Amino acid sequence: MNEISPPSFSQRIYSIWYRHILVYVKNIFSNGIPPFLEPLLFLLGVGLGLGNFVGEINNVSYVTYLAAGIIAPPAMFTAAYECTFGTFIRLEFDKVYDGMVSASMTVEDLFIGEILFAGTKGLFFSFAVLSVISIFGLIESPMAVFCIIVGFFTAMMFAVLSLLVTSFVNNINHFNFYFTGFITPVFFLSGIVFPLNTLPKFLELFAQIFPLIHSVNLMRAFCFNQFELSLIGDIFYIITFILIIGFLAIKRLRHKIIT
Amino acid sequence: MNKVAIKVKNLVKKYNDSTIIDNLSFEVPEGICFGILGPNGAGKTTTMEILYGKVQREQTNGTNGHEARESKEVSVFGYDPLDNELEIKFITGIIPQEDNFDVELSVFQNLLIYSKFYGLSKKQALPRIEYVLEFIDLTQKKDSRIRELSGGMKRRLLIARALLNDPKLLILDEPTTGLDPQVRHHIWNKLRILKKEGVTILLTTHYMEEAYQICDSLIIMDKGKKISQGTPIELIEKNIEKYVLEIIKNNSKFKGDNSPVLRVETSHDRTLIYSDNLDEIKRISNDFSPGDYYLRQSNLEDVFLKITGKRFNE
Repeated sequence: MNEISPPSFSQRIYSIWYRHILVYVKNIFSNGIPPFLEPLLFLLGVGLGLGNFVGEINNVSYVTYLAAGIIAPPAMFTAAYECTFGTFIRLEFDKVYDGMVSASMTVEDLFIGEILFAGTKGLFFSFAVLSVISIFGLIESPMAVFCIIVGFFTAMMFAVLSLLVTSFVNNINHFNFYFTGFITPVFFLSGIVFPLNTLPKFLELFAQIFPLIHSVNLMRAFCFNQFELSLIGDIFYIITFILIIGFLAIKRLRHKIIT
Repeated sequence: MNKVAIKVKNLVKKYNDSTIIDNLSFEVPEGICFGILGPNGAGKTTTMEILYGKVQREQTNGTNGHEARESKEVSVFGYDPLDNELEIKFITGIIPQEDNFDVELSVFQNLLIYSKFYGLSKKQALPRIEYVLEFIDLTQKKDSRIRELSGGMKRRLLIARALLNDPKLLILDEPTTGLDPQVRHHIWNKLRILKKEGVTILLTTHYMEEAYQICDSLIIMDKGKKISQGTPIELIEKNIEKYVLEIIKNNSKFKGDNSPVLRVETSHDRTLIYSDNLDEIKRISNDFSPGDYYLRQSNLEDVFLKITGKRFNE
């Protein structure tokens, strides 16, 4: 008989992460190509098309301004999809979680592993955007490579938030409200396609409560190698957000699996 | 032998206001096959899920406002699922009612991932995967995708997966529901082998034959309560007459009989006559032509229907 020594916390988290990676890589072609195509389309469609009418923003061409902004959103979108539709399907339809918690695994392990996997996807998606914009010569500083770390944390923020949303949802179609009512406005209010200081002051301040703007601030700083003290606030926001929302989400989801 | 593998004492579980498990107690000695029988909704699955922490029991006991008696009434090899969920799951193979594989992945990949969940390294896992596939006769399906497997194969694969970590205890929730007789017998054989190897087996079923074939001891549950306990033979002897005459057609011919050694039950178009006296029963059967009646030994199903009632439970 075995000695009774269940796997350690890190082994358990790693095994969950590994499972997600294996399933993701299984469809590497359909999963791996779009992250590179999307920024290309964005730069061509919005950057070059709209850019002709805009001129310069913050002393750089509009395409360059836009390029630094579009590194963060794919990390947001991929984590949001993964931890809403993906999580819901694993939870309710495929019952994959039931299988996992039948092994030597707790519910907390499941979701911590899942959040880290979403982070990894965010890192990959940010890397894809960064590669494309580098090819177009739109990167000013080698510091921009750190954007992929920001991408990792961006995705974790939206992973925990989306898990929290999932914990309230009983019908998969209700996620449409989350995407239309939250994710899309967040995209437009995060200083990606236009600088927020052109908005009325109250709207500019209001926008600060949303998560993505803090990622965009950090990424712009790395891309242009311009650092301000306010970035510490952005880092603080991101870390606090992940910890608090993550705690709440896992606590609520636990009750969906353990009754 | 005779050490206690599972101990459940005064177990209570409520959902909202309804009591799902009502003061249930039983013990499973190590190395036997123990069955929980009961109609749908009796609380069988919930009982099992409490053992490995999927469902949490009520922590204060007493159903009708009684004082809390003991808060630690559940133990699996000495571990309480409220405190040692991981340890219990580490030594227990769990086979759920519904399969829950990663359907996109192959049989081998599913098993490899699952062995990682137990903390096995790839080097440890590979021979185990070979072994469990061989044991359950699925070696040739190693590289198939899950969606290519039949229902019977998936159920066998669930058993293989549960065996990856060489468990001391196997928990099976209706292991053969919906399977054809060949697969059912195949699974029963494998469970007998595992029992010989010293694995303790706990299963739920509503197939009386399954309980009769492989369980050493069993309890019958209804509405969250234990209503009978014993070996299959004991349960039959304790609860019901030895023989049954089923009159299937022309039951109107049977005008009743006042013989004290007979017990008669009529439902719809069927009449069942129970007795310990074979001669009496044979005498009645003479009035009927072959094909209109069926004379047999009573079985667990008769016991089950007798004590849980013939009505639907849902």
